[in-house]
Amino acid sequence: MSVFDGLKFRRVYSPIHNLDPRIKFIYVLAIFVIAIIFWELIPLIVLFIIQIPFVVLAGVKREWLRSMRGGAFLASIIFVTNFVVAYFAGRGLAESLENAIALTLRFIVLIESFSIFFLTTSPDHLGLALEQTGMPYEFCFAFTTAVRFVPVLAEEAQTIMDAQKARGLELERGNFLKRIRNYIPILIPLIVSAIRRSLELAEAMESRAWGATKKRTNLYVLKIHKNDFFLIVITIGILATAIFIRLYVPIPSLNQLLKGIF
Amino acid sequence: MPVIETKNLTYTYPGGTKPSISDVSIKIKKGEFALITGPSGCGKTTLCRCFNGLIPHFYQGELKGEIKVTGLNILENPIYEMAKHVGLVFQNPENQLFALSVEKDVAFGLENLGVPREEIRKRVNWTLNLTGIYDLRERAPHELSGGQQQRVAIASILAMQPEVMVLDEPTSFLDPLSAKKIFKVIYELNKKLGITVVLVEHRLDLTARYADHIIVMDDGKVVLDGEPREILSSEEARLIGIGIPKATRLYHILKKDGVKLSNTVPLSSDEMANLLKEALKVHD
Repeated sequence: MSVFDGLKFRRVYSPIHNLDPRIKFIYVLAIFVIAIIFWELIPLIVLFIIQIPFVVLAGVKREWLRSMRGGAFLASIIFVTNFVVAYFAGRGLAESLENAIALTLRFIVLIESFSIFFLTTSPDHLGLALEQTGMPYEFCFAFTTAVRFVPVLAEEAQTIMDAQKARGLELERGNFLKRIRNYIPILIPLIVSAIRRSLELAEAMESRAWGATKKRTNLYVLKIHKNDFFLIVITIGILATAIFIRLYVPIPSLNQLLKGIF
Repeated sequence: MPVIETKNLTYTYPGGTKPSISDVSIKIKKGEFALITGPSGCGKTTLCRCFNGLIPHFYQGELKGEIKVTGLNILENPIYEMAKHVGLVFQNPENQLFALSVEKDVAFGLENLGVPREEIRKRVNWTLNLTGIYDLRERAPHELSGGQQQRVAIASILAMQPEVMVLDEPTSFLDPLSAKKIFKVIYELNKKLGITVVLVEHRLDLTARYADHIIVMDDGKVVLDGEPREILSSEEARLIGIGIPKATRLYHILKKDGVKLSNTVPLSSDEMANLLKEALKVHD
């Protein structure tokens, strides 16, 4: 089952996990906006560092590093293209290097904030947040149910794979196209059983008064706590500072700064 | 007044050539523990689906005859209305749980009914305690064993406080020990809360002792209907191939061989053991 371990959701408690997902999302959007309005290296470095305390507080360092590593390939492409384009456009080596690093860092900051959001928000919470922001319940239900069945389907896929291998199916055989075709005997039973499962689910839903009333109630309700206020204040603070700096403070490039010092 | 009453109930699935149940006329009384059994494909599940209106509302098809459950006509009431009165528990516990935590699953039916939050909280806690899964309330379904999952499924129905609980082979995915525990939970609900239970089961060894009423089906028809001790002693029941409790079989074999045993037919090994002890005492 090790292949599918990453798909399982876990319930973790930390100051960050307990934050209201809606506010966390606003925070992520704020970071997103700030990352877009700056193209200089220094503010982006600051932005990158600001978020590290969140990762530490949430205790998701390992998962976070993994998702950052996932973005590494794309980041290096961004770096190389920007550098090459700037360099051949006739800007100096140092300047094009700094420019390329800044743009890559912008991308990394975006990944960073989104991964903090998704790593620290349980699907349950996310569904609830969607519901309370006025999303139709059917969509929220579909979302949480999909998450709920990921581990189930993963397990089933594994079982089917084992069964087909026991009948002599070789998955790792042949060229690229052949390998893809090898998965057809796995996909078809998987789809058939998923459809059958969905019928049973529908039956169970009906039996529990699905659709009885338009005004559905909810066991849980998201409430804004002290920490959430704290995050709002931080978000507004960061955003205001960023906009102020953008408008009124000239930002030196790292090159100029270094030249000024030495 | 019977809680469930059917008269000449006949149903054919859409596209089916012959009816899955035909001419079923049964009565199940309030507070009864009724057991429905019979070989696979005999129409037990189909009958269960009629009890809360899944047939005909969900499955369509052709339904003839009369059926009333808790005094309500199935045809005139939508499934969600019936769901308040009749709870259905299915075979596969995995496919009855939708939420990411046990608590939320138990609350699901109540949320659908629009019950106020405080009331939901109260009933969820009551149900979790009653079914002995309070400690599991924050777990995700995939972290539970099959037996625990089925308990959650039962709890989620129980939270809606139905008058009748219909369980369609709730233990076929479970090992014998978990099955035994589930049956005990069901029996306690029946005795303590007075909920009418309709249990579809093959494992009569474990369940016959609880039953007040047994209905045996074969090929879409009700073939035997009545008091457990009587029905399980009949030759017919044995020929249909239902799983007659071993204690009952042993009793009849011994009786035939001329061993003197009292006249109450045993339904469980405990009862059989007591009978044997008595018989042995007489010989001393």
